[in-house]
Amino acid sequence: MKNRILNLLKGSVLMGLFLTLLGFQEIQAQQRITGTVNDALGPVPGANIVVQGTTNGVTTDFDGNYSIEASSGDVLVFTYLGYATQTITVGNQTTINVTLVEDASKLEEVVVIGYGTAKKSDVVGSVSQVTSKSFENQPLTRTEDALQGRASGVKVTRNSGQPGGEIKVRIRGVNSITGNNSPLVVVDGVIGGDLSSINPNDIASMEVLKDASATAIYGSRGSNGVILVSTKKGKGKGKISVDYFISSDHVRKYIPTLGAADFARIENSSRARVNSPAVYTNEEIAALEANGGTNYQKELLGQNGLTQNLQLSASGASEDGKINYFLSGNYVNQKGMVIETGYEKYSVRANVNAEINDRLNVGVKISAVRAKTENNLDQFNLFEGRKIFQALTWDPTTPIYNENGGYNLYSTKSVASGTYNPIADMLESDLQNVNDRIDVNFNTDYSITDKLKYSLIVGANSINTAQQNYIVSQTLPDATYSGAKTTSFQVSNILTWANTYGKHDISATGLYEFSQNEYSQNGYKSTDYIVPGNYYLAELGQSFNAWNNYNKSDIQSLMARAAYVYDKSLFLTATVRMDQSSRFRKAQNTGYFPSVALKYSFKQMDFLSNGDFLTDFAIRGGWGQVGNQNIAPYATYPSSQIGGTDASYPYSGGTPSPGAIPDGYGNEDLTWETTTQINAGLDFAFWNGRASLSIDGYKKNTTDLLLDVPVPGTNGGGVIPQNIGEVENYGVDFSLGGGIVSTDNFNWDSNFNFSYVQNKVVDLGGVDFIQGSFEATDGTQQYWNIIEKGRSLGQFLGATFLGTWKTAEATEAAEFGRAPGDPKYLRDESGDIVYRPIGNGTPTTFWGFNNTFTYKNWDLNLFIQGVHGFDVYNTMRGTINGPAKSFMSPDQLNQWTPENETDIPAGGQSIIGSSRFVEDGSFIRLQNLAIGYTLRDIGAIESLRIYASGQNLFLITDYQGYDPELTSVAADPAERGNGDVAAGIDAGAFPNPLTISLGLKFNF
Amino acid sequence: MYTKNKLIKYLSSGIGMVSVVFALSLQSCANLEEHPSDSQLAPGQFSSLEDFDLAVTGVYGKLRTAAQWTTFNVFGWAGDDITTHKALNKAPFREYDQMNVSGDNPRSLSNWNDVYSMIRAVNAVIESAEGLNVTDQERYNRLLGEAHFLRGTLFLHMSRIHGRIPLPLTSAPDFEIGLATQEEVYQQVESDLLLAESLLPNMYPGLEIPEGAARPNKGSAQAILSRLYMNWAGFPLKDSSKYTDAANVAKKVIDNHSSYGFELLNDLNDLWKVANRFNKESVWTIVYSNAAGLGNRKYGILGYPADVEGGWSETFAEVRFFEDFPEGPRKEATYRTDLDWKNFTDQVQPVFTKVAGPLGDLPSQWSTDRNDFYMRYAEVLLNYAEASGRSGNATADAWEALNMIRRRAAGKPFDSPDPSVDVTSGDLAELAFTERKWEFAGEYLRYNDLVRMERVEEALKNEARTPLDSNIPIANPVLGSLSPDNYYAPIPQIEIDLNPNLAN
Repeated sequence: MKNRILNLLKGSVLMGLFLTLLGFQEIQAQQRITGTVNDALGPVPGANIVVQGTTNGVTTDFDGNYSIEASSGDVLVFTYLGYATQTITVGNQTTINVTLVEDASKLEEVVVIGYGTAKKSDVVGSVSQVTSKSFENQPLTRTEDALQGRASGVKVTRNSGQPGGEIKVRIRGVNSITGNNSPLVVVDGVIGGDLSSINPNDIASMEVLKDASATAIYGSRGSNGVILVSTKKGKGKGKISVDYFISSDHVRKYIPTLGAADFARIENSSRARVNSPAVYTNEEIAALEANGGTNYQKELLGQNGLTQNLQLSASGASEDGKINYFLSGNYVNQKGMVIETGYEKYSVRANVNAEINDRLNVGVKISAVRAKTENNLDQFNLFEGRKIFQALTWDPTTPIYNENGGYNLYSTKSVASGTYNPIADMLESDLQNVNDRIDVNFNTDYSITDKLKYSLIVGANSINTAQQNYIVSQTLPDATYSGAKTTSFQVSNILTWANTYGKHDISATGLYEFSQNEYSQNGYKSTDYIVPGNYYLAELGQSFNAWNNYNKSDIQSLMARAAYVYDKSLFLTATVRMDQSSRFRKAQNTGYFPSVALKYSFKQMDFLSNGDFLTDFAIRGGWGQVGNQNIAPYATYPSSQIGGTDASYPYSGGTPSPGAIPDGYGNEDLTWETTTQINAGLDFAFWNGRASLSIDGYKKNTTDLLLDVPVPGTNGGGVIPQNIGEVENYGVDFSLGGGIVSTDNFNWDSNFNFSYVQNKVVDLGGVDFIQGSFEATDGTQQYWNIIEKGRSLGQFLGATFLGTWKTAEATEAAEFGRAPGDPKYLRDESGDIVYRPIGNGTPTTFWGFNNTFTYKNWDLNLFIQGVHGFDVYNTMRGTINGPAKSFMSPDQLNQWTPENETDIPAGGQSIIGSSRFVEDGSFIRLQNLAIGYTLRDIGAIESLRIYASGQNLFLITDYQGYDPELTSVAADPAERGNGDVAAGIDAGAFPNPLTISLGLKFNF
Repeated sequence: MYTKNKLIKYLSSGIGMVSVVFALSLQSCANLEEHPSDSQLAPGQFSSLEDFDLAVTGVYGKLRTAAQWTTFNVFGWAGDDITTHKALNKAPFREYDQMNVSGDNPRSLSNWNDVYSMIRAVNAVIESAEGLNVTDQERYNRLLGEAHFLRGTLFLHMSRIHGRIPLPLTSAPDFEIGLATQEEVYQQVESDLLLAESLLPNMYPGLEIPEGAARPNKGSAQAILSRLYMNWAGFPLKDSSKYTDAANVAKKVIDNHSSYGFELLNDLNDLWKVANRFNKESVWTIVYSNAAGLGNRKYGILGYPADVEGGWSETFAEVRFFEDFPEGPRKEATYRTDLDWKNFTDQVQPVFTKVAGPLGDLPSQWSTDRNDFYMRYAEVLLNYAEASGRSGNATADAWEALNMIRRRAAGKPFDSPDPSVDVTSGDLAELAFTERKWEFAGEYLRYNDLVRMERVEEALKNEARTPLDSNIPIANPVLGSLSPDNYYAPIPQIEIDLNPNLAN
């Protein structure tokens, strides 16, 4: 593998050298004018240079360079939207560098569109851009947070407040029932990036490709949308920035639980209901009243979180602008609110670009990241829920420590949760997850002629993860190691051509690309230490087992894109991509993904060009098809499992012998799922672009779903992946932004975006339901979710709660073995409790409202977001309201009594998975409030910004748990399916903190 | 600029390389063939006996996965010997206990899934062994015999819970498979076990611990056959000619018990000690190894109420059954009489030694090293006695088989006749049937005895279960019908939803 990459790199270097050669062999037949177009900040890509009175014109490349043929008498006209036009007579100059002056009324940006860039005005597909400007004043450690609420159609969900925890990003709903719904991340042209490993400070802009006309160029990997991340480049004189912030995290609210004395009384009363004697004596209750018992929730959430973030960067360019660099280093250290949890990340990046000559540019980008997560709660033994769940259900009358200073490992009264003491587990266990990632990106472009350019991007990365767990709570300590190595590379050859014929601008892009991903993993487990120790004493285990895995996959692709613009009014883009993937068998491994998009701008029309208010108006429409090839490698082949708990057997009661059992069924007919999307949009610009409004409506249908179709247990169980079924998403994205106030001293920039998406399962291959993936945490082996035809993904499955059995209903209750005061559920004719869909956890509506105010040296950022139209299955509340042995909820203080027949059950078989615990999840959150003050030119310091901010300062919601945004997506998606079908199930997620930060930012 | 010139010189002389680079870059570097065998064993025909052995071990792995949970024996809760907690998360067990099993019972479902997953594995083994050329034919026969033994035994196991069941015989899924008739089920079990009997040796060679037949031998197959015929002769087919078969095949085991390595233990107290988890009384043992993460999750604290060692309150003894249990060493060995169970606060029920373990024997854990004695030699003896009686052939040997059990129950040597205990007259079949009740209390076998003799109502009606101690209520009174149409547990509803052919 290593050799493979080396060979590729060698090949690429040779290619570069070849191109250099071509550059020098060029024949000077005519006078060629070259130069760079800059603005106050640096090079301007996409500026137009036209020989006045002719149709001979070129545009500057991404580094602001141009080259045009002209004679000495010609006049060059430099235009760029948003800037004042300049005209320069050629004379005897061969190099003409121009600095454009901004014309605020005409501001226009360049947008990265994948395998190239485009002027924002030329973009026909649905693309949202998030530039560093919009998030630089929010203290961020995660790139996903920079996206949150800033791009319409993009939903960012924090599954938990765990430092370093998973953050879910979804673009325009979810397509796939069993596949992965995460968008494709492309970093500087290299596919397969990971947002969590990118330092947000390194990002210049992120473009979110939403509709199929924009994503079709990514073919079989584009169906979940694409996020294009461009990292920063240096420009201008050398600059050093230092940014440091410190934040502290606080628990926003605790879930109310019974105090120890009340708990003891309720415990006695529920025993009395079934004629069992009391567990607590009056003296014990009095003592608990006096000492208050132990609140395990507060013990677990026993510290304030603390984050320190240090960011250093150096950037700049050589005087002639031919070499630029951006170097950065970042250190993040976080301590979570749950004791013993933490996260640490180091990252460095070096981006260097050089203009070798007028035609050839080369660049190298290297980044390295190490991230270490300590005691991720998802990686503990999940039996009877996560630690938060366990802490909320743990006996408040048993102290953490016994009289001898040891732990009380289990409830001394055998009440409440039967699990191991969660505090002891946190303190004595040690789980470390280390993730190292190195990315290398080599890129070069060579202008073969004025109109034809060849670009080469070679990306390679290596990811090493190591999971080192030492867990004490499974009777005797166990240690587990699991290490995985992923190496991948991508080689993209891109040819672009552009020309202008009068009012006709035509451009074309061609691509040949291939990539490979190789994965290997191995691990061992040492079980039941003879004496307690630590992770590094795994030799103490009484038994050992080991596992291995390996796979490799390749993709090879061709892509073509053509764009046609007529008179800056009519824009047409058509693309087609062909992908061949090794994950499918030969007969099915080739897919074609076409798209077409059209836009008409009325800007040239008199009523707009003469207007003051509405200055541009465009309508857009697009259609395209994209795919999702996200199945595991080798899924088309039947497989077997060797060893492990299901396939080994201890014939002599000791060390087991390995065996082999059939595993996957394989399906040689598998191919990608296809998403067909249509999109229609309207764009408005007001006051020459000071404000803009975009509205997009879309409908996308994903067919031939890569669905894991359950095999009936009778036939051996498990699943067969099949191309079956259809999911539909339709919705509206709305984005309004601009400078509301713009004066010398005071500016107010505001951006509001709003998205509505409706998800629907259209077809499940002939059945109306598919069993869900989220198995109840209460040991009933039922599922809390279900996939239902005709409804949105994320359906909750459960019983329908009808209050309590009343005294008057005692006879009827007795037929079911129930008594008055027991919970009552909807039953069918045969008397069985009905389990049916009782709620849905997929939000339909989300919005973000971001405001930046600047007054002289002061700046203020206010960012509010909202999510609506979904339920949360509060199974944590279900658990503390019974039946897991004991009641923990203060609701019980108002429980049913013969005298006061409330609907709060006093005992009996309470079902956690019931409509009683389905709550409205809608919320509005003050995501960020930041205030800063900037001092300029103090000695060597160019600027110094001091800021303070608060995140998650308020949360408006009716939800009774910690936070409706949290969902308990399985730690292991392979075990419990993708989180989107189990959205909105709260089974004890790490709460989101309220964060207060203070920071300093220097520029030298 | 110096570098640039150097580059030019270097490359000017290497024009040829240029085309090579282009060619390299444009040709396919993607490898579009997958090679799963790089990291996986390919399923399919065996190439050696070692492959065969590996796959048979895999089936045992699946068997252990299924058998480790109380769920494997969930039908046992319907018996009058076992009950469970009246609340907590034990509703699925209570459904059995109260004869009110729903199609959604998650324990039925998980057991169904686990066992049929094993059936898929064993079918793959039988298919993959076909046509394998070997020199060691004996080893081949053993492995094939083992595969058929496992399939036949587990089909019978499932039929004892659900009555009519589907009989998948290939590893390729048949999504439209229907329910076999009861007769077809028994015939399939019989054919698998007869084949196993013919292929298996008297003792499975090479076992590190031969006691307990961790890998079945000829005698194990015959013993299970006797169990099959007892069922066949009783409800629902009531083909009483099968009693003769049951007696004959049980007699074969008895006659050859030494060469099969089977024998009664002298002291019942020894049987349930973890140190004796391999013993001669088990005619086929399912083996566990807790340290290897392959523990048995049926015993230990699952048998205690919350009052004792943080018990899990899953498997309790019924009060009335305990009260009726004849006093003596067998009762002492069956129940934990050291515990003051009448003063339990969680639930007033006696504790089975067979579940919680003898005093001080099992650690306070829910996962233990205890093995399962899938069938005890005692059952072979009692099958022989009862079947002989029911087929009108109450021989001296048949009386002797019953008396061996009675002597040991009384704490006497089982092999020396003892007039104070022995019976030699009366209804041998009924005496043996009653003997089973006490001998196998808490071993999840009682309910099937009630079913095959159609005595469910007689044993489970309220009068029969109400404790004699008037202070103690029946924990989980029967809610469902006690008539034969409710004897068997329904097939899991989800299986019927997925394949309506399983509805009838």
